[in-house]
Amino acid sequence: MAEKESLTELIAIAEGGSHNSGLEKKRFNFLAWVSERGIVVFTVVLILFAVIFVNGFASLPNITDVFYRAAPIGIVAVGMTFVVISANYLDLSVVAQVATAAVIFIGVSNNYGLLASFAVALLVALLYGAVNGVAVGYFKANAVIVTLSTTFIGLGLLRWISGGSIFFGPEDGPIRLFGQIKLGPVPLSAFVLLVITIILWWVLTRTNFGFTVRAYGSNKEATRLAGVNTGLVVIGAFVITALSAMVAGFVLAAFSNTAVSAMADGYDFRALAAIIIGGTSVFGGRGSVLRTLLGVIFVSVLTNILVLSGIGFGFQQMAIGALIVAAVSVDALARRAAKK
Amino acid sequence: MKTPPVAETPAITASGIVKRFGGATAVDGVSISVLPGEIHAVVGENGAGKSTLMRILAGVITPDEGTVTINGTHIDRGAKASLDAGIALVHQELSLVGEMTVAENIVLGTTPTTLGFISKKRVASIAADALAEIGVSVDLKEPISRLSVSLRQFVEIARAVARNPRVLILDEPTATLTPAETDYLLTMLQRLAASGIAIIYISHRIPEVFRICTSVTILRDGKLVETTPVADTTPSAVIDAMVGRDLKLDLQVRRTASPGDVVLAAKGIRAHNVNGVDLEVRARQIVGLGGLVGAGRTELVRAIVGADPRQAGTVTLTVDGVVHPISSYGSAVRAGIGYVPEERRTDGLALSMSVSDNIALPNRHALSRWGILRLGAISTFVTSLADVVGLRPPQILREVGEYSGGNQQKVVIAKWLGREPKLIILDEPTRGVDVGAKAEIHRLVRELADKGAAVLVVSSDLPELLELSDLIHVVRDGRIMGTLTGVDAHEKSVMSLASGEKMVGA
Repeated sequence: MAEKESLTELIAIAEGGSHNSGLEKKRFNFLAWVSERGIVVFTVVLILFAVIFVNGFASLPNITDVFYRAAPIGIVAVGMTFVVISANYLDLSVVAQVATAAVIFIGVSNNYGLLASFAVALLVALLYGAVNGVAVGYFKANAVIVTLSTTFIGLGLLRWISGGSIFFGPEDGPIRLFGQIKLGPVPLSAFVLLVITIILWWVLTRTNFGFTVRAYGSNKEATRLAGVNTGLVVIGAFVITALSAMVAGFVLAAFSNTAVSAMADGYDFRALAAIIIGGTSVFGGRGSVLRTLLGVIFVSVLTNILVLSGIGFGFQQMAIGALIVAAVSVDALARRAAKK
Repeated sequence: MKTPPVAETPAITASGIVKRFGGATAVDGVSISVLPGEIHAVVGENGAGKSTLMRILAGVITPDEGTVTINGTHIDRGAKASLDAGIALVHQELSLVGEMTVAENIVLGTTPTTLGFISKKRVASIAADALAEIGVSVDLKEPISRLSVSLRQFVEIARAVARNPRVLILDEPTATLTPAETDYLLTMLQRLAASGIAIIYISHRIPEVFRICTSVTILRDGKLVETTPVADTTPSAVIDAMVGRDLKLDLQVRRTASPGDVVLAAKGIRAHNVNGVDLEVRARQIVGLGGLVGAGRTELVRAIVGADPRQAGTVTLTVDGVVHPISSYGSAVRAGIGYVPEERRTDGLALSMSVSDNIALPNRHALSRWGILRLGAISTFVTSLADVVGLRPPQILREVGEYSGGNQQKVVIAKWLGREPKLIILDEPTRGVDVGAKAEIHRLVRELADKGAAVLVVSSDLPELLELSDLIHVVRDGRIMGTLTGVDAHEKSVMSLASGEKMVGA
């Protein structure tokens, strides 16, 4: 499944796979294999390990809990995959975007209704996407610094307007209701993650826009000289991230029925972890939202195992940090090996 | 124990070298040995395995089989060990640091230090000595990014010479040089060889091989065809051995089509390195831009298409009587201009994407409906274009980066062919491209013009320029110094307009 994301491979499928037969087989490159396909094996092995050796993992309440925690992070990560593939590193401002959306959904809908909160949240998301996208895409500013700054602006604005207070939704409100619906052990939010992943996979692999995002990530100048409006491509990547962050904000607000400006702290890095561990290259051009989904599952299960084993938050942080260093190193080494 | 022969010990010997990349064998059982003071040519089409073999000799990559011996010692511990053993490789792609000065680049990697601090005096003296040895005068404190491409090539050579190599390997050193600069370089190599350095010289340019080399090794498809003394062979025999097939190069065919209406009209173009140029190209006409490297031709065409900003001037493209002003690169593409840039690897192709993706990119609007890609249409479209340009092998799903230079260039041209451009601009369309692909690219360019397109070609390859163009503008210092047609257009007339009697190092 995760292997079939490139346009060319899709053509091969559309053409009955006949084009592949004459291709020279590349020599097996272990690092490239780990970097591109490893996540499938790692995820399966980790889940098997957890089921067999970790007490309490394979219980329904625990699985529901893993889904609840994975959904908002996952939604942010599949969206942010567009920014990473466009070779713009990451969007740090998802921290502010998710929290702002959550506060808007609870705060605004308390006073003006759900529909109004959606409208405001959508406007804010488009504004985030446009500001980040214009600064990075048109002014060619560094994405890390721009989004670090918009995080500050966004969180500052949110704290100023909300007064730093915690917002609570009504116990019988529609947001609360959404957060409580489950199909068996699977909460509705996990289905939202799945649907968004499928939509974004389709956008990235099958649409004109997604094609230009991948081309831009592979070679910016060649893509510009092919007549692509590259500024719009970058804006598009940041808008998709912002829209995903908005949905994640809704899911997160629904989970606890509360919203506060600090509720998405650490989302930037955890989303990046899922993307990179999934095997999307930080050099741009190569990657897929399906891999990011696997990366989200891997990181969520790993975190859950550590929690169930009574290992503290400090160690969890360390583990995820170490995993990212390993994943980006493998990515870089595989890229170098491929060049030889 | 193997005892080396007493007299004439080769400076470097490689035997039975095999190198595979995946399923492809890049070098297949090649042996070569070069004596001190010899200039040994290695020739072959693009993809014949020359560059791979050279990188193996220099220890940059490790062979799967075979050994490299320098002065009787096996060398197999990587680039640093080979460098220490006295092998210096001057890469095809320049490897200088743009922000650093000439002197810093020359000593880079072997920077002399005193107690851990860089000794500026010794840096300067080493760099000055190396430049003096190759007889080129450049300001040591000049940043590399301010030098012309040809001067950078000489600095690159100075850097190799600064290490007092036993073996000097040069990979296509004249690709970016003008005839006068090439002349200078060849003389310099003869002088270096006379001092006892073994030189391995890779080139597509057969006349250069016959001028300076003592022996020639011919590679084809990774295999050794033969090694012979240059005195015992002829240029046409070497070319036949290189391509392994009979090439029908009708170099002197003149196109007879009469030019149509003006398609491109550029007036008063000013930009960085471009100082006021008026230019017209008509339908069915091939206009050539001649001149030395650094004369401003690339800057001129980039300013015309809007790839770089113009300081002044207007450009219009007239299609079927409708005048389209060209104000930005986007408007140029929309109006029907195709631009094949000088640097195909950095500006022309997304190397990690497939042939199919690369060709589909500028044609994506025609190949999609409501923003959704039509995969079947893309496959048909790309397959037919790969056939038109003669991509070999025609595997459109393969990464472009895996193809040889000639094939890559065909892909860059194919990107625009599908749009049936009204004007196509080609900057150095056959640089680093083998003889066979070059003939095919020339055929494509002529066909485009015959079908009614206006064509503008920039080329530093004089025979190519003369052969392709109906009319040649010679550019110097960002101005058109003269326009040549028919019998007036020959190597001498182009060069005298282009050079203005200036030579390298003078």
